[in-house]
Amino acid sequence: MYDLIIVGAGPGGYVAAERAGALGKKVLIVEKGALGGVCLNCGCIPTKTLLTSAKHYAYAKKGGEFGVEIPEATFHLDKVIDRKDGVVKKLNVGVAFLMKHAKAEVIQGEATFLGGTKIEVNGTTYEGKNLMIATGSSPAMPPIEGAKLPHVVTSTELLNLREQPKSLVVIGGGVIGLEFASFFSTIGTEVHVVEMVDEILPMMDSEMSRMVRRSLGDVTFHLGAKVEKITETAVTYTDSKGTTEIPADTVLMAVGRTPNSQGLESLGVTMNKGWVEVNEKMETSVPHVYAIGDITGKSLLAHSASRMGEVAVSTMFGDGRDSMRYHAIPWALYTLPEAAGCGMTETEAKDAGRDIKVGAAQMKSNGRFLAESTAKDGGMCKVVVDAKTDVILGVHMIGGLCSEMIHGAAIIIEGEFRAKDIRETIFPHPTVAEVIREACFALK
Amino acid sequence: MAEVIILPKLGNSVESCILLGWKVAIGDQVSEGTVLCEAETDKTTVEVESTASGTLLHLFFQEDDEVEVFAPIAIVGSEGEDISELLEGHSSTEAPKGSDTPTKQATTEVPSQVSQMQQESSPQATDFATGAPVSPRAKSAAEQRGVPTAFLQGTGPGGRIIERDVLAYATTHEPLTPAAKDQLQGSLPPAVGSGVGGRVTTRDLHGTSAKQPATTTLQAAEMVEVPLKGVRKIIAERMHHSIQSTAQLTLNSYADATYMKRLRERFKALPQEHPLAKVSLNDMVLFAVAKTLKEHPHMNAHFLGDKVVQYGQVNLGFAVDTPKGLMVPVIKSAHTLSLEEISVETKTKGAACGAGNIDPDSLQGGTFTVTNLGALGIEHFTPVLNTPEIGILGVGAISLRPIQRGSKVVHISHIALSLTIDHQVIDGAPAARFLKDLAEHIKNFDMLFMEKAYMSNKE
Repeated sequence: MYDLIIVGAGPGGYVAAERAGALGKKVLIVEKGALGGVCLNCGCIPTKTLLTSAKHYAYAKKGGEFGVEIPEATFHLDKVIDRKDGVVKKLNVGVAFLMKHAKAEVIQGEATFLGGTKIEVNGTTYEGKNLMIATGSSPAMPPIEGAKLPHVVTSTELLNLREQPKSLVVIGGGVIGLEFASFFSTIGTEVHVVEMVDEILPMMDSEMSRMVRRSLGDVTFHLGAKVEKITETAVTYTDSKGTTEIPADTVLMAVGRTPNSQGLESLGVTMNKGWVEVNEKMETSVPHVYAIGDITGKSLLAHSASRMGEVAVSTMFGDGRDSMRYHAIPWALYTLPEAAGCGMTETEAKDAGRDIKVGAAQMKSNGRFLAESTAKDGGMCKVVVDAKTDVILGVHMIGGLCSEMIHGAAIIIEGEFRAKDIRETIFPHPTVAEVIREACFALK
Repeated sequence: MAEVIILPKLGNSVESCILLGWKVAIGDQVSEGTVLCEAETDKTTVEVESTASGTLLHLFFQEDDEVEVFAPIAIVGSEGEDISELLEGHSSTEAPKGSDTPTKQATTEVPSQVSQMQQESSPQATDFATGAPVSPRAKSAAEQRGVPTAFLQGTGPGGRIIERDVLAYATTHEPLTPAAKDQLQGSLPPAVGSGVGGRVTTRDLHGTSAKQPATTTLQAAEMVEVPLKGVRKIIAERMHHSIQSTAQLTLNSYADATYMKRLRERFKALPQEHPLAKVSLNDMVLFAVAKTLKEHPHMNAHFLGDKVVQYGQVNLGFAVDTPKGLMVPVIKSAHTLSLEEISVETKTKGAACGAGNIDPDSLQGGTFTVTNLGALGIEHFTPVLNTPEIGILGVGAISLRPIQRGSKVVHISHIALSLTIDHQVIDGAPAARFLKDLAEHIKNFDMLFMEKAYMSNKE
């Protein structure tokens, strides 16, 4: 009898195994693919590996502005993919080591849910005192004519493309679509992004979504556009102006993700369109069965999954005080330049009926940013503050390596810090992060 | 030759103390070892003793002053002695105790700043302040740790909130977020909040507002939420207060119930309409308790914080199990009543409690309480004091106990008795004596019953 059986070894499942293992619990973790899940194998990590290569390439090309002439920078996608595979492999081994360290038993195979906390893997039945569903999600494939053609791919396949496409049409203007758009446009592919609604990046501050769009100057955006059909050579969409055809030798389908809920029916957990419903303790409707990560549909981010895994472990084995909070989950977009945010946007706060003040600081007014960027680069940081209580509700940024400083916003929002608390806090100089503090001084 | 008394070093880490109060006044005769004052360190309160003998000529500090260790606190010498030189030698020439002059110290500016800061950070503090005085050390500790002193129960002299109260609160309560501190109003913040690391957030203060998703509990089918209200709420508050404010000690004993049982059997055999026919064992215990309390007035008392009030009249409360919860109606002047009168009182008041139409006055004024779980098979338990009463008797089930009689062992019916007392004001031995006498009365219940009948006939 295991204390905990985890199905799915993504950043939710393996972190939960680590935490439970550290508490001395007997853990079994089942994975049908590679350890690390989407994040490590075909998501967060590989895309960052590719984007880093694209950044080096872009810096090499604009080196002249920094006094470093590189006459002939060339990009080799084949080598980039090799390097990516190497990084992924290293991390796979790393996760395996973590599981060993946590004394968690790892089984390679697909789990069949037998009901309650029992599962079957490779013909053997296992039972745990607790069961954690961490099966994740997969790219969604909408029923568009031509969607099944071989050159229509998802992010998973695109990460293994060894020949650079001449033209790429990205269907969907979310985080995944834009990171690939940024990567391929930087290395010289002609990229079009077709988005159904009127602006890209719906979770983002609308002013900043526009800035991201403008900063990706080499990408052509088609907004408010509905894809009608895909052929071997082109993508057809209609918008308010009529029907347009864009040539494409590769099409990336990035319209969202669907839950990996196959086989969960036998558990009898309450589901909503395939997503498993949970409370803030990560309990499902069935006692001792927990669900965490993408499968809950609450927040499809690796770090959310990890935290949910920790909350579930705390519910099972801890004092039960820990709860999942969703209001301070930071997100980051690793395009060139990066964007990141945490908490409420201006629009969200207004929609929630909050009386707010907003403060903004320009990246161009920041010493370190200026020292390290080209004349064309820019960006900004915006803080959204409750006018009555001075509590910081949201922080949103674009420019530079802002993914590396957004955790500060998460701490600020979790701790319910007020703008005046941040104004009284010393930030190191020169760092780009000073823009957060400056934005707190610029509140209006 | 006058001598300066200094504040001794009271521990390795103690740098200063707060003067809680002088035990002596200028002009008093003191000798070595006389307690001069009480002082509060960050951990405890200590008594500072005189290191010289003579007349107390001068005090350097007032109550609530912060005094650094090794600072001069008093001058002792011969009456009329000139101490001006000694006073000059020490820069701090304080107005002595009793003067109206406000305290001035080397740190004069600091306290005014502190009070300003407090006003700024918790503007509503006065709205719900208990009015209990707060020692300066407690104030500064509360400032540092964000502890709302208005909610604290002071354990210092006269209910004063001292540093250890603040520290005790801080160790059992998670901190408030800066915003929550700003918005603290009226209600007591929870010990643990829903924020990061258990921090108390604004959400915790305002309850679950409409904009915040309510706690969803999918496994709700397995749980029933019962809101705390009415009698239950009063019981919760009173029980908690009792345990928090008293030092409860329970003594267990048995009383030979042979005669009591035998008498009961004979009462039961009487015609139904006979006033004694319905007398229960509990009525008989109440009768015996009333009699014993009259002989032990120290048990028939209230503890009112600074004094114990003993009552000549026994107002005996008895616990009644009702659908709404525990209720304790009171039999007034129980010591004057006959057994059948007590029996009538328990029947009518018990029924009124059950029906929910008990006169509220009948639930007040008790001086001692009896609670009985014997019918449910419980032998001994630890009854919780019905404050401010200082004693409560728990009556348990009757069981057979082996007793040695000569060379034989016989089994005698015994009734279990559990007496809880407030050890703050009553010690174990006098309580045990009360219990022993009660057991004796129960053992000789027939005599007690007849004595009462005899006395009332005589009257």
